[in-house]
Amino acid sequence: MNYQLIGGEMADFTDREPVGGELAAYLIGLLRPLGGRILLAGPHAPALIGALTGFAEVTCLVRSQPDAAALADCGATVLCGSLAKLTGAERYDAVVALDGVERLCSVEGPQYDWAESVRALHRVLRPGGALLLAVENELGVHRLVDRATVTFAHTTDAWRPEGEFGAKPGSPARLEARLAAEGLTVGWLGAAWPLPAAPTFAATPAALRDGPSGALSAAAAASVAAAFAGTPVLSDPRRLTAAAIRAGVGAEFAPGWLALAFRGTELGVLVPPVLSGGGPAADLPAGRVLEELLIGACLRHDLPAIRRLLAGWVASEPTAGFDNVLVDGDTYTVLDPARATGEPGGVLRRFAHTLLAGGYAQPWPAAADVPSLTTILLAAAGLAGTVPDADDAPPAPHSLREHEEQVRRLEEQLADAAARVAYVETELIYRDAELRRARLQIDAFAGKVGYRITKLGARAARRAVRAVRRTSPLFKD
Amino acid sequence: MHHANHFYGHAHVLAGYCGLDPEHPPRIDGYVQHGWNVVDGLGAGTPYVSGRPIFVWSEQTRRRAWSMGRRYATVIGAPWLYLLATRPAERGVPRAGTIWYPFHGWEGQHVAGDHQRLIDEILETEDGPVTFCLYWHEFNNNRIRRRYERAGRVVCHGYRGLRWLDTDTRFLHNQLAELRAHRRVASNRLSSAVLYGAAVGCEPAVYGDPMHLDGEVRLTAERIRRQWPELHGRHPDPADATASALSELGADDLASPAELRAVLGWAAA
Repeated sequence: MNYQLIGGEMADFTDREPVGGELAAYLIGLLRPLGGRILLAGPHAPALIGALTGFAEVTCLVRSQPDAAALADCGATVLCGSLAKLTGAERYDAVVALDGVERLCSVEGPQYDWAESVRALHRVLRPGGALLLAVENELGVHRLVDRATVTFAHTTDAWRPEGEFGAKPGSPARLEARLAAEGLTVGWLGAAWPLPAAPTFAATPAALRDGPSGALSAAAAASVAAAFAGTPVLSDPRRLTAAAIRAGVGAEFAPGWLALAFRGTELGVLVPPVLSGGGPAADLPAGRVLEELLIGACLRHDLPAIRRLLAGWVASEPTAGFDNVLVDGDTYTVLDPARATGEPGGVLRRFAHTLLAGGYAQPWPAAADVPSLTTILLAAAGLAGTVPDADDAPPAPHSLREHEEQVRRLEEQLADAAARVAYVETELIYRDAELRRARLQIDAFAGKVGYRITKLGARAARRAVRAVRRTSPLFKD
Repeated sequence: MHHANHFYGHAHVLAGYCGLDPEHPPRIDGYVQHGWNVVDGLGAGTPYVSGRPIFVWSEQTRRRAWSMGRRYATVIGAPWLYLLATRPAERGVPRAGTIWYPFHGWEGQHVAGDHQRLIDEILETEDGPVTFCLYWHEFNNNRIRRRYERAGRVVCHGYRGLRWLDTDTRFLHNQLAELRAHRRVASNRLSSAVLYGAAVGCEPAVYGDPMHLDGEVRLTAERIRRQWPELHGRHPDPADATASALSELGADDLASPAELRAVLGWAAA
């Protein structure tokens, strides 16, 4: 057995979805100057452990015995048990808890709250050492759009499903204050998207406040788009993310926060203000996201602005999706060239779908389906060509709000169709009468047999009526 | 869709602009606003079928239509401006006098003296020759036409048509030729003709007795004077008046031929 059982271990239990990803690996890599002894507390993806064992003496703490067994050959010392059993005998240069502190205590023994967990981790840090900690935001975008809630408690690890009723800090400012109250100095704190278990974009509150909000919101929204593609949600998390960042409350509504705090006052490591993927973000251009500008112009029915934006896009970046282009005056900049491999018709078709699925007001409300609206958008953009078939771009999140709008729209279209059929039938009756009159006139002038027969028939009918009137007692004067 | 689309040859003008046969415009799957109005862009009494687009002249009209429950309005601008795009003005053609569009309810609502007073006021105000443009049914009424003939030249742009029949498809072309020959355009009520004139370089003016019809709600006429003071008066500032007129005609919202085809449902025509 290549792991130590320290007490409180769970024999037939495993933690799902440990935290991982390039951004987490990059942050852990930054701890190198602090020294060689590192504790990884809680479930972390094997790749993160592998990245550390190259330069450090790593200790892993997990509560699940099967998880501990799986880590046995990864080159680290593995402790299996509850956080409460961790003695202060060992001191580490850094403690990494990028999975948060919720999965450190097992079912056995005391159930530490957030502050008690942080205190326990603090105890095993050497003076000057660093705690790299993740905190999930119960008011994060991922929670706000979730069709379920953690308090539903369906999973085996949810024996205390506190959710927003727990004692975690609820904002970046409070997180910093709580860590300070524990004697830790925060060296860096970043809001992270799109999910706590797999952050791919992070930025400090200062960068979010003072930086280019267009590029920042686009990058965060892009990470959310990738994570939520095709996922059932309450409302579109991409819009919520971008709107929060633009409104200056991006950090408050981020799915989680990552903090690097030091025991003592000395800051041993510097972290860049904006991280994207596996490292610092490249310089972010100024400007607003083209898609947001276009949706805004559609909502205002601002046709000149729509045509100007489309023309600018056609002239500079027609292969990039509207969510991947920043517009600053007359300058159009692609955010992620790797994603700019589309075809203009396909981009317009996707935008038509976005407008219709999102129920956005737009200047051509009678174009109620994607091909019709795409035809108009192609023409408004000055592009020739036919509407392409749907491409294999990642699907948008499946939002309940948009489903409601689709149902409403279909009901409206059905009622409109019924009204139209009624109108057309009335018009048909009118036209039929016109046609009958015209035919009679033609027959009359042509002297046709049919007309004569009709005339004879009418005469015979009149005679019959007169005969009946004469003989019937009903018509007596 | 509706026969009003063919009034004044609007559908024909739009087809010509789109590069289609102007004599046989394809069917428009909606309602083209056929005159300037201060409601939803539809003519009074038009049997609107919900869900069909109303092609209005200006964004302001679209907003108004929306507030009246018309959710399917699309701004395309006035067909008049599309006609101008296909018929650029010739340079150096001299302009003279005023073309005057009298508005009145002749059929018994007013005594003749009202009209004579209007004519007197017009001749007193205008310093050049005056051309009176009458609506077709007034033009065909000898009594009315003669009254105006005593004061100046009298013209009629044509018959607007009814139920797709007898439409004078050259109506707007005739009007354009007349307006371009005059220095001023005027009426006793703000109307399409005044806006059209302003758009082709006439100095617009609205003055004289507005000749309210019996039973007509005066609130609308008063509202129009309040909202567009820059177009009212004997000699309003031409620059302000023209800018206002172009805005009412939707000059900033005109679509390209390709876009207009797509919007009107003519993409495959």
